[in-house]
Amino acid sequence: MFIYTVKRFALAGLILIVAVTAMFLMIRAVPGDPVSIMLGPRATPELKASLIEQMALDQPIWKQLLIYYGGLLRGDLGIDVFSGRSVVDIVFQQLPYTLEMIALSVVWSAALGIALGAYAAAHPNTIIDRVAAAVSVSFVAAPAFVVALLALLIFAVQLQWFPAIGVGEGFWGRLNHLVLPSFAIGLSWVGYIARLVRASMLEVLGEGHIRTARAFGISERRIIMSYALRIAILPVVTVIGVGMGFLLSSAVFTEIVFARPGIGKLVIDSITTRNYPVVMGTVLVSTGLFVLSTAIADLLNALLDPRARSTK
Amino acid sequence: MKLEWTKAPMGRRNFLKTATALGAAATLPMGLAGRAMASEGGTLRVRSYGDMSTMDPAHSNGVFDEEIHASVYNKLIQYKPGSEWGWQLDAASMIEQADPTHINFALRDDIGFTNGHGAMTAEDVKFSFERIIADDTESPNKPDMGPLSHIEVTGEREGTIVLNEPFAPLWSIALPYITGNIVSKTATEAAGGRIGADPVAESGPYLRASWNPKEKTVLTRNPDWQGDAPAWDNIEILPIDDENTAEIAFEAGELDFTRVSLGSVERYRADVPNGGALIENPSLFYVWLGMNLDHPKLQNIKLRQAIQHAIDVPSILEAAYFGAVEPSTGIIAPGLIGHRDAGSIAPAADFARAAELLAESGETNVSLTLDVLNKTTFTTTAQIIQATLAGIGITVEINVLESGAFWDSGNNENLQLVLNRFSMTPDPTYATAWFTTEQAGIWNWENFRNAEFDQLHAEAARETDLEKRAEMYVRAQDLMEESGAYRFITHEATPVVHSSGVVPALRPDGLTLLRYFGKS
Repeated sequence: MFIYTVKRFALAGLILIVAVTAMFLMIRAVPGDPVSIMLGPRATPELKASLIEQMALDQPIWKQLLIYYGGLLRGDLGIDVFSGRSVVDIVFQQLPYTLEMIALSVVWSAALGIALGAYAAAHPNTIIDRVAAAVSVSFVAAPAFVVALLALLIFAVQLQWFPAIGVGEGFWGRLNHLVLPSFAIGLSWVGYIARLVRASMLEVLGEGHIRTARAFGISERRIIMSYALRIAILPVVTVIGVGMGFLLSSAVFTEIVFARPGIGKLVIDSITTRNYPVVMGTVLVSTGLFVLSTAIADLLNALLDPRARSTK
Repeated sequence: MKLEWTKAPMGRRNFLKTATALGAAATLPMGLAGRAMASEGGTLRVRSYGDMSTMDPAHSNGVFDEEIHASVYNKLIQYKPGSEWGWQLDAASMIEQADPTHINFALRDDIGFTNGHGAMTAEDVKFSFERIIADDTESPNKPDMGPLSHIEVTGEREGTIVLNEPFAPLWSIALPYITGNIVSKTATEAAGGRIGADPVAESGPYLRASWNPKEKTVLTRNPDWQGDAPAWDNIEILPIDDENTAEIAFEAGELDFTRVSLGSVERYRADVPNGGALIENPSLFYVWLGMNLDHPKLQNIKLRQAIQHAIDVPSILEAAYFGAVEPSTGIIAPGLIGHRDAGSIAPAADFARAAELLAESGETNVSLTLDVLNKTTFTTTAQIIQATLAGIGITVEINVLESGAFWDSGNNENLQLVLNRFSMTPDPTYATAWFTTEQAGIWNWENFRNAEFDQLHAEAARETDLEKRAEMYVRAQDLMEESGAYRFITHEATPVVHSSGVVPALRPDGLTLLRYFGKS
């Protein structure tokens, strides 16, 4: 397990380097003079020259990349061009807002999805199973931005149950403000996880050890909860790990629609204004999160299923 | 196979526990019980289009910063809220133009800076204005100060603004806008000469209580403010990019004031929720179709004039702006000096005249590209232009560009037609500045070069006779239109809604003057 963990994190590091390098090159390939966009129409040639020097834009790309990685090794992600604040401060100030939204989405969608999938698998080909299938597929098919807008109109404007915008204050205030955003991005995951768990459960329930357990007279409830679900849940762990990428991208529009701070909104703002240091800082952190979550999912899988360690 | 879910242990005890927990949860600040109306408790909640970035007026990035700076700092003069452009005294108890290049002022004696930085003096004014024009400061707002030479301090609270040459926009931009904010000399010097994201000393009716980036900025009443008491205890400024989100938040009672989209104006004209009201202000922005005079395909003036006449502005305003805006006659909006009452080309298309001009041009099989920004309003406008030009036999291919690529169009020598929109401050010199020969290929994407225009632009900025100045700007816009390189479309509009308890204080273009917001 130790060697597997080391290998997995080495791979994660490599993925991170490749992703950050690719993004570094891509953002510089985007058309448009970054200095003119950043400084606006009234910038003097002296101001432009100063900013070009400050951002090392007068250097060849490979040298800019080396400078960036040099800063990275020192924990320096650069300075925001507009506010003069440290990019590390900016990104880590925004990150908790995104993380709490994603975490709540994962928790509620996984809990409901697993329950729905397990229940459907326990009642295959019944009305309940068919209704669960229809509901699950509907959830998967519902675009998150449509869910977000409908949720806003119904629960914030009409019913006034939940706030429409912002993040709130205090634990309950923050939780209250998280309900609609996490509902919007988690809903399709409910359906997805439910379908996945149902298929996996049905496969497991047909295996020999389950038949043996039944032959021993173990209650059906215990078989489902203690034996079958534990195995059937393995693909869900992997999917949730990979799903971090999806949830991070969902955070972009969710943060805009619900006027929440977060790294999704930050990256859009900074790309629009060609604020390279902030773009790179945000990409680095969100890529790091994605790589870390997939690595953790793999490790959890390996922990739960020893066969995974040998096949990697 | 059957699972007995209903046999979960939910006995009487568990039921009571659950019911108690649910009851307790209902009392927690969740859902409806935890909601507060936006303007309760003396807190005004307004929407801003973007987040603030700095508390340093010298490095202000525009409206988002200025909304806050104008509330926590003072200027010699401030814009006067209302429907007509004008200014009123703020930190100055007196200000007068002694001669075209000298302006005397005296400060009020009851304004002080926070954090123990003492009373506001003429030295603070000198420091604040001169640091804007100092090369070391690298202020992007330096052009707003025009030909400012220096400030002469003649007393503790008296001084003279000295200009190198007359500068009319001093009264409409330099003093009442971004560069007019007065900061504390001692506090700024103690901070190393540059103010960052946090204020070093404030003096206005409000203080910046907190700033949570991308979430909100909170202003609170300044307890030491001796002037007219501000109406609100707190102002929360929420940066919300999306117009629809802001409208939903307003309708949900979470905002007291917001700009709304032009598409929603009709709906709000019929009814504003929660007893609120809609205010429709004209905007200073100007939108036009430009033609690159350097492009080989657009050398023929008759062709350009045919395009001017074939574009039907009313159709554009109806389809792309939902009929909520008026056609423009130039680049200078109504209410400003130099606005033209009418252009030489009527807003409605004259297809017969356009066809005639095209025939006179001798051009056949004309095919052009039209570059637009990737916003619905512009792409819709472009489609209408495409359709109307097709009516006289001109084929238009629309290039929809992302903002970065679009705003770099000055470097695009292949640019042919371009749909453009510029922002504006309330002085006409800010409009004409981008169309001079010097700006060709930078912001003058039409590459319009006209010596008379350049001269008018330079002289009008120095002209202090308002009537003469207005004539100069009218002539400058005539020259633009006569070149055939421009088809003026609209100045847009700034519709805003506010809740019933709020009395907004707005500039004539609909931008907020938060320090003057009142209660009803």
